[in-house]
Amino acid sequence: MTTSSTPLPGSADRAPRRRGNGVFVLACLLPALVLFAVFMVVPTLNVFRMSFYTWSGFSPDMRFVGLDNFARLLDDAQFVRAFQNTVALLVVVTVVTMGLGLFLAAIMTRQRLRGRVLYRFILYVPSVLSVVVIAAIFSAIFDQENGLLNGTLRLLSLDTLQRVWLGDQDLVLWSVAIAMVWQSLGYYMVLYMSGMAGIPEELYEASALDGASAGRQFFAITLPLIWQNLRTTLTFFVMSAVNLSFVLVRAMTGGGPDGSSEVLLSYMYRQAYTNSSYGYGMAIGVVIFAFSFLVSLLVSRATRREPLQY
Amino acid sequence: MRRSLVLVSVVVLGLLTGCSAGGDGSASGKTTLNVAALEGGYGRDMYAEVIQAYEAAHPDVEVRLQISKSIEDEITPNMKAGRYPDVVVLGQGRKAALTETLIKDKALEDLTPVLKAKVPGENGTVGDKLVAGIVGNLNTNPYGTEQTYTLPMYYAPTGLFYNKALFAEKGWKVPATWEEMFALGETAKKEKISLFTYPTAGYLDSFFFALLADVGGEQFYTDVMTYKQGVWQTPQARQVLDITTRLLRYAAPTTVGYANEQDFTKNQQSVLDNKAMFMPNGTWVVGEMADAPRADGFQWALTPLPAVTEGGKRYITTSVESVWIPAAARNKDAAKEFVAYLYSDAAAGIFAKANAIQPIKGIVSGLSGENAEFYKVYEDTSVSALVGGFAGTPPVEGVDIKGTLFDTANSIISGDKTQEQWQAALNDASEKLRQAGS
Repeated sequence: MTTSSTPLPGSADRAPRRRGNGVFVLACLLPALVLFAVFMVVPTLNVFRMSFYTWSGFSPDMRFVGLDNFARLLDDAQFVRAFQNTVALLVVVTVVTMGLGLFLAAIMTRQRLRGRVLYRFILYVPSVLSVVVIAAIFSAIFDQENGLLNGTLRLLSLDTLQRVWLGDQDLVLWSVAIAMVWQSLGYYMVLYMSGMAGIPEELYEASALDGASAGRQFFAITLPLIWQNLRTTLTFFVMSAVNLSFVLVRAMTGGGPDGSSEVLLSYMYRQAYTNSSYGYGMAIGVVIFAFSFLVSLLVSRATRREPLQY
Repeated sequence: MRRSLVLVSVVVLGLLTGCSAGGDGSASGKTTLNVAALEGGYGRDMYAEVIQAYEAAHPDVEVRLQISKSIEDEITPNMKAGRYPDVVVLGQGRKAALTETLIKDKALEDLTPVLKAKVPGENGTVGDKLVAGIVGNLNTNPYGTEQTYTLPMYYAPTGLFYNKALFAEKGWKVPATWEEMFALGETAKKEKISLFTYPTAGYLDSFFFALLADVGGEQFYTDVMTYKQGVWQTPQARQVLDITTRLLRYAAPTTVGYANEQDFTKNQQSVLDNKAMFMPNGTWVVGEMADAPRADGFQWALTPLPAVTEGGKRYITTSVESVWIPAAARNKDAAKEFVAYLYSDAAAGIFAKANAIQPIKGIVSGLSGENAEFYKVYEDTSVSALVGGFAGTPPVEGVDIKGTLFDTANSIISGDKTQEQWQAALNDASEKLRQAGS
């Protein structure tokens, strides 16, 4: 693949060798490409294809119904609710996780906090835990009787604030959101810390001499210089949050009570695998795909800035 | 270079085909029977023993057992690829709803001939050995015809479970009518005991099925299960929802918060702790909560739902695990013979040792301990067994009548939905399923 920029006389006899390289590169790429095609491209295309059919998942008879599945989605109150829940979770969890992650990262790197290695470790631990463990932990925290949260409130004589965290239809989604933030906060904090560590110290020293406060430094130096980092993580996060919400909801609430914490993926799962409406489930899958794609695109567009050099 | 390319292709092909390998293994001349079973509360050893006994009697058959607590997840990938097990022991009402899906698809083998076949090594037919009323209902004949597609494997009464000792201690009587039930609810409230709870809303299935039959009789129950037009707008349906809504007012305050898969045992615990009195459940709860702490002298007992009017007929929903043969199975004849063998005295003895009680005549008299107490309900002449569930229809996108009927209880307790909304949603779901089925 390496070619020198100045063509040498007699380079004609190199042509076959270059082709040889190409074949070799192709051969090396082939396994990955085949695997990618078989396990990623084909299934994805299949999702789109299946969304035009009605099929139970097993029977040989698949019926082509065109856009019927999508039309039906609009009338499905449970789907609309799941969609609203997903959007609410995405917005709140993203804003809180990113905001807190940035804030903590800035404090840890800039303020030279004592014991920050320990804090970093503790905050990072949740992101290596399995979701089922997290669900179990939060089930213990949110327990209405002996839970950590209600217990603490009782201890502080704030009994009126006690709630049935996983049983109240207005609260259950936010209880899930708290678990999601807890799970991903440490990971993104560490990412931002590494980004911030790369910013030259002189910039801060110079600004300090000019009398800039820590807050001013954060917004004028830190944030612009890790902006590219932030953009990438934001896109990642939006996509992973869609998945994380599904696993957590399934493990913690099962979408309940009465569908009040259902998210798009859990509803898709329910329709495709327990309501024998595979095609309909795939139509929901297409909506999720389009939605994630659109959100990522919007986020990417909205946060586009000229990269800063230093 | 070319050689390396060939090598790479071989490796890739090897990788791809490697996943799909796995032959039939019938080269030895033996018939290989693939049996898939759900590992329920009864454990897995009983299957191994039965298979051993069967193989001893049938040297030309090799039985391969696949057993798991989530058997659906393990057999469905192969089924989608066209490799079906020959015999499946798996009931309806599971979350994955595999049996229901195959019923909706008409992908089960007709087992009516098995009922007429002789049990291997015995003189009677399978049909003769089964207790009355256990076949011929929507559970076994899901399309409402004469054809039987699933056979009842084990049966267990599901009803309201409670602590017998609590009633003895307080001098209370187990309510025989709903009026007595609600009066007891008031009495218990003064002692800070809730009348009712449920592990998750899904456990209300046994409650609703029995209540529907109690209120409107078997015909009404069948009408509801087969989505008769306007059935949810009838006075009987209204009465069912009235009673339920009234009962849910007495539900333990912790019920909804724990009614999820993570915490449902905490609702069951509240019965063990004498904080709640009744819960709908199945006989498996004894084993499930075996290690849990409990109130002094705690003693499990089971009662059918109270009668609607004094002396009225009562039904007890009977949960039935089923055995069936996929229509796409390879060795259907051998599979049918194996299924018939499952009802032999030899097999029934092995199953009964593991507390898996088959619906075979005379088996109940040999039971002991809690099981004897539970199965006693069938001896009460005013109580009839009720088997079945909602009839299979082609799938309807976005409509899940079980979810609408059971899960809404959570919203009724929390006040997020009214009884009118509940009734309207049920009517809507039932109507959509009726149209799909007709």
